[in-house]
Amino acid sequence: MSKIMTVDVLSSIKGAQPSEAVNKLFEVIKNANTTNNNAFNNHNNALSLNDLRDDVVIDSSDTEKQIIIENFPKEKNGYLVVSKVIEE
Amino acid sequence: MNKDITCTALVQEKLNLLQQNTHNTVNTLLDTLALDLAAKVDAKIANGETIGLLEGIPFGIKDVYMVQGTYTTASSDLLKNYKSAYTATAIQKLLDAGAIPLVKENCDSFGHGSSSENTIFGAVKNAINPDLVGGGSSGGSAVNVAKDYTIFSIGGDTGGSVRQPAGYNNVYGLKPTYGRISRYGLMAYASSTDCVGPIAKSIEDIRIVLNVMSGKDIKDQTSYVSAEITQEAISTTDNIKTVGYFKNFIETDAIDAKIKSDFLETIEKIKAKGIQVKALDFFESETLVSTYYTLAMAETASNLSRLDGTNYGNRIESDNLKETYAVTRSENFSEETKRRIVGGNQVLSQGFSDEIYLKGLALRDNIANNFENDFQEVDIIISPVTPSTPPKIGDSLKNPHAMYLSDAYTVGFSLGQLPTLTIPQGTTTGLQITAAKHNDELVLKFANFLKDTI
Repeated sequence: MSKIMTVDVLSSIKGAQPSEAVNKLFEVIKNANTTNNNAFNNHNNALSLNDLRDDVVIDSSDTEKQIIIENFPKEKNGYLVVSKVIEE
Repeated sequence: MNKDITCTALVQEKLNLLQQNTHNTVNTLLDTLALDLAAKVDAKIANGETIGLLEGIPFGIKDVYMVQGTYTTASSDLLKNYKSAYTATAIQKLLDAGAIPLVKENCDSFGHGSSSENTIFGAVKNAINPDLVGGGSSGGSAVNVAKDYTIFSIGGDTGGSVRQPAGYNNVYGLKPTYGRISRYGLMAYASSTDCVGPIAKSIEDIRIVLNVMSGKDIKDQTSYVSAEITQEAISTTDNIKTVGYFKNFIETDAIDAKIKSDFLETIEKIKAKGIQVKALDFFESETLVSTYYTLAMAETASNLSRLDGTNYGNRIESDNLKETYAVTRSENFSEETKRRIVGGNQVLSQGFSDEIYLKGLALRDNIANNFENDFQEVDIIISPVTPSTPPKIGDSLKNPHAMYLSDAYTVGFSLGQLPTLTIPQGTTTGLQITAAKHNDELVLKFANFLKDTI
């Protein structure tokens, strides 16, 4: 499959185009010298796997659930209404 | 304890000031909640109960933090009616300590901006000169503190969003070491540099608020355990022998002449106290800004992809699911937010990611290594906060590239995840004090020293 996705489709923003202001920033990166081009050496943001939270389901409080429902953009009988998904 | 004024009267006074203010700092006033909490504090005092350091202290919250039951709009059309279902960890800790939230504060939408003009609530006006911007993205928070509408405010700093408005409004603003304060409940902009940061009028207030909010939180895997910073620990400067500054920040045409001369004068005063000052080499401002924005845009494109109007937000119905997503996002995001999302998706696309995004990550590593080497040689790095004075309201929106470049002095420390404090001294827009990772204590210590030195 080779389907070209344009940035407006990727971003779900109608008519979106790359901007000149942002492209200027990217040009600087393209032309910059790095002492190490291997991004897989990135070590700044790694987290230890030995300190993960417990993999358990924690039930939300009633208040939390009620506010989540209040935030539904469209609601019917306590359920969230979404557009029909059409397979392409 | 001074009992001249009740907590209720104090809170009411601040609420009145906020309500009447013309600086556009308020998104939502939390009057009912604040007055209820104030009455409880008064009752405690009347019963002779002991109260904590922050008990009854009124504070402000940038409108990107979840506080259960309150509107959290991120100053955006998309979330203008969104109610927080839960409370952010940092805010919960302040509530547990008895502090009283007064207001959700105006800011750039989703933190996207350096002037607090990119908001649906009207541009935030500078506390000192209302014709100028309040700075951003935590502009409303800095102005509220500067005008004494809040005792302290909680901003968010991703690339300078606490430090720059603090500098523009002459108050203190701290970006702690990344992870010192949990980000849980802070609306994500660029997760790898997002920090919770206090803004206040004294180093002591910053210290107290920082201590309360710090600590490991199981809900944010990047948070870590940190020791309390005591008042005694930051009152002497015995172990600060060497201070550095980046010479390319100063030896450039891009810096305002007065900011430059004031900065150099500060350096001389520090030297006169017997501290060695070293001029350090650093990356070009353009490289720092471009690296930061490349990574921040990639992260925000990813973080904001969830905002499609399905489960919450201002959904605009269209022909089908995909069209509903697209119309909702197109109509509800600001131009600046769209510019950043599109930029982020550009660099994350196949064909672009290697030469831009991955290279950006490699550059970030280089920048971090540079800092590690610098802190082998110096204890503290000082820098101006901004190259220029605050722009007039309206000017930044005309030239986004110039706005990005105005962040030149703050973004590097964000990429390095280093603790950095803006102090309202040294130049018209203040000074930044930076130490090595996890050394927030040293930053506050040096701030105390400069308070009496310059």
